[in-house]
Amino acid sequence: MSFIPHPLLAMFFVSGIFLINPATINAAENSKLIRQQLLELEKQMQSQQKDYQTQIDNLEKRLNESAVAKTNVPATTNPLNIGLSGLFTAGGSSVDNAALANLQAGGHDPNKNGFTVQNVELSIGAIVDPYFDAQANIIYLINAQGETVVELEEAYFSSRSLPWGLQVKGGQYFTEFGRQNKQHPHTWAFVDQPVILSRFFGGDGLRSQGVRASWLMPTDWYSEIYFGMQNPKGETVTSFLNAAGEEVGGHTLIDRNARGLGDLLYSTRWLNGFDLSDTMSMNIGVSGLWGPNASGNTTDTEIYGADLYLKWQSSRSQRGYPFIAWHTEVLKRRYEAGDPGDANPETLKDWGMFSQVSWGFTPGWVAGLRWDYATADGNTSSDPLRDTRKRLSPNLTWYLSEYSKIRLQYNRDSAEHLAEKTADSLWLQFEFSIGSHSAHTF
Amino acid sequence: MNNIFKYLLWTVLISLISGQLHAALRVETTTQDLAAIAKVIGGQHIEVHSLTSGTRDPHFAVAKPSMIRRVFRADLLLVIGADMEIGWLPPLLQSSRNSRVQPGNPGYLDLSEVVTLLGKVQGSISRAMGDVHAKGNPHYWLDPHNGIQMAKAITGRLTQLDPGHAIDYTTNFNAFKSKINSKLPDWKKALQHLKGKPVITYHNSFVYLANAFDFNIIDEIEPIPGIAPSASSLSSLITEIKTKQIDLLLIEPYYERRSAQYLKQQTGIQVAVIPQSVGAQSNIQNYVDLFDSIIDVLQLEENN
Repeated sequence: MSFIPHPLLAMFFVSGIFLINPATINAAENSKLIRQQLLELEKQMQSQQKDYQTQIDNLEKRLNESAVAKTNVPATTNPLNIGLSGLFTAGGSSVDNAALANLQAGGHDPNKNGFTVQNVELSIGAIVDPYFDAQANIIYLINAQGETVVELEEAYFSSRSLPWGLQVKGGQYFTEFGRQNKQHPHTWAFVDQPVILSRFFGGDGLRSQGVRASWLMPTDWYSEIYFGMQNPKGETVTSFLNAAGEEVGGHTLIDRNARGLGDLLYSTRWLNGFDLSDTMSMNIGVSGLWGPNASGNTTDTEIYGADLYLKWQSSRSQRGYPFIAWHTEVLKRRYEAGDPGDANPETLKDWGMFSQVSWGFTPGWVAGLRWDYATADGNTSSDPLRDTRKRLSPNLTWYLSEYSKIRLQYNRDSAEHLAEKTADSLWLQFEFSIGSHSAHTF
Repeated sequence: MNNIFKYLLWTVLISLISGQLHAALRVETTTQDLAAIAKVIGGQHIEVHSLTSGTRDPHFAVAKPSMIRRVFRADLLLVIGADMEIGWLPPLLQSSRNSRVQPGNPGYLDLSEVVTLLGKVQGSISRAMGDVHAKGNPHYWLDPHNGIQMAKAITGRLTQLDPGHAIDYTTNFNAFKSKINSKLPDWKKALQHLKGKPVITYHNSFVYLANAFDFNIIDEIEPIPGIAPSASSLSSLITEIKTKQIDLLLIEPYYERRSAQYLKQQTGIQVAVIPQSVGAQSNIQNYVDLFDSIIDVLQLEENN
């Protein structure tokens, strides 16, 4: 099929209009003619367009024919993300189980010679509606006494689209303090939690019921401020109103209740993120906690922390490797122990830090090294939760796939309260994860 | 004095408001390929940025805080879909607190919905089969015909979000389409020598390229998707290469080369490192460059 090219065609008609436009023809006839000719022109152009379209359609048809027949994909019905992860350890230490319970104070740490079921976590999450997301994490574990423990670790909602960069979260959740506290055991880079976190936040991390708001600030870099309030009472709010009858630095804890807004646990965090280059990124944050503690009726605790996370990832990474990640946190606690009228009121000052490097040297393989340090003011050498403690932990992890891993870790402990002063432990960990695809955490 | 102050205030206010009104549409994409196509269609009316770099495997990106900031400000988010970004996009969308770009809203466009996906898995699948994408193979941008479909969908969405520049978007799309259509015969001619030939790849990322240029991918170095080859899987591959007389192996720049080198040593198979995305090499700046470069590599293979 051949065509008169556009410009020629147009010229032909335009000149035609002029040629048949003598004054002898009346206006009505004239306009009728023009309309007719325009119609013809339009028809010509349409058929030309149609021809192009047929050519394209043929190409597309060819493509579709060679492809798998297009099936009607049903629209995904707001799916629940359900996942289950299991974390198991086998290993042993140069010290006995009683001493090990103090050294491995984390509730999900391997804490006995032999086998430990560290954490079996069922997580369910979904988008509720255009306004909220919801998430629940339920934990099953078998404690050192061999009993099955079920915990509602987290259950919270968070807003999806408040204006001005605001977000609200409420329910039972891990307090956003530092980087490590809100991480779940199966995403840890080591088999156990840092010593200083076990001391300040107990075995299960700092979590409680409450609400928090965060504001993504309109800065050129990522900058977010969190402010929250939570119940100060419970066994997962160590350093505040926890565990009546137990002792902190020789002070017996009483059964104290929050009596007003001033007695709640207040938390704040300011987190900043920068891309230093195409391959380097950095997170830097500061956090603070204020709340009452159970050593007296008027006593308070303050905890401050700073955290730094640096990650390098090769510009030609395969499956995310090679990478190097460096994560460091420093924490400091000021604990008012005993009311002014008590026998021995004092202010306990503790601090500690950990610094860890993970080096993913080839796809699936990560070598890690962590250094822990914790100490406190005063004569604390016999107190397993306040003595001067150092721990060095090299490890090697093999991720068989995105869904399973095997990790070998050695811990070299040095603790004043131990009769032997040092302890050596070796742990072999296995993790599986089934169900919905978990996110690659930054 | 008071008047000057008022005048200044009004000028600032008006320029702020008009700045808001005339601000270019902010487009974020999950890959550089999407960014390159969007750039061509949107021209000066959009600001486009890719969340990941073409030098990396987009499946294994991590959601960095800087990405949260970017998605928070975006007016339009273009994604590859078909589970390509499943590891990092959901948490990013959740923390972005931007309702405009949530799935279902006009600011979210999943391009896998506008092309015909290959490699959909029939029947039941399990993770014992490796990283199988149930929704289909997500590397569809490697077929230039799909590029046109993607550009068409992007044009439609830009027009919907910014009707004022509809004519420009359509003009740009038509130019893009003609460019690809005029290039296609040359590309096909250049790859004539591959027609019907059996080829091995590292990962199953080149099925669309094979489909567009009529060669056959008959196996992968990965025994199952996402799982690294073992000594035994490589040795059975050597037998296959020899018996089926396969003489070309395609590999993305970010995969390890040891296995490919080993196969080359054992069988003499030619190894072609194919830039799989815009930005994979510094000379690949746009979607047409991508195919020019791929064809360059594959032509060199012929001359060797």
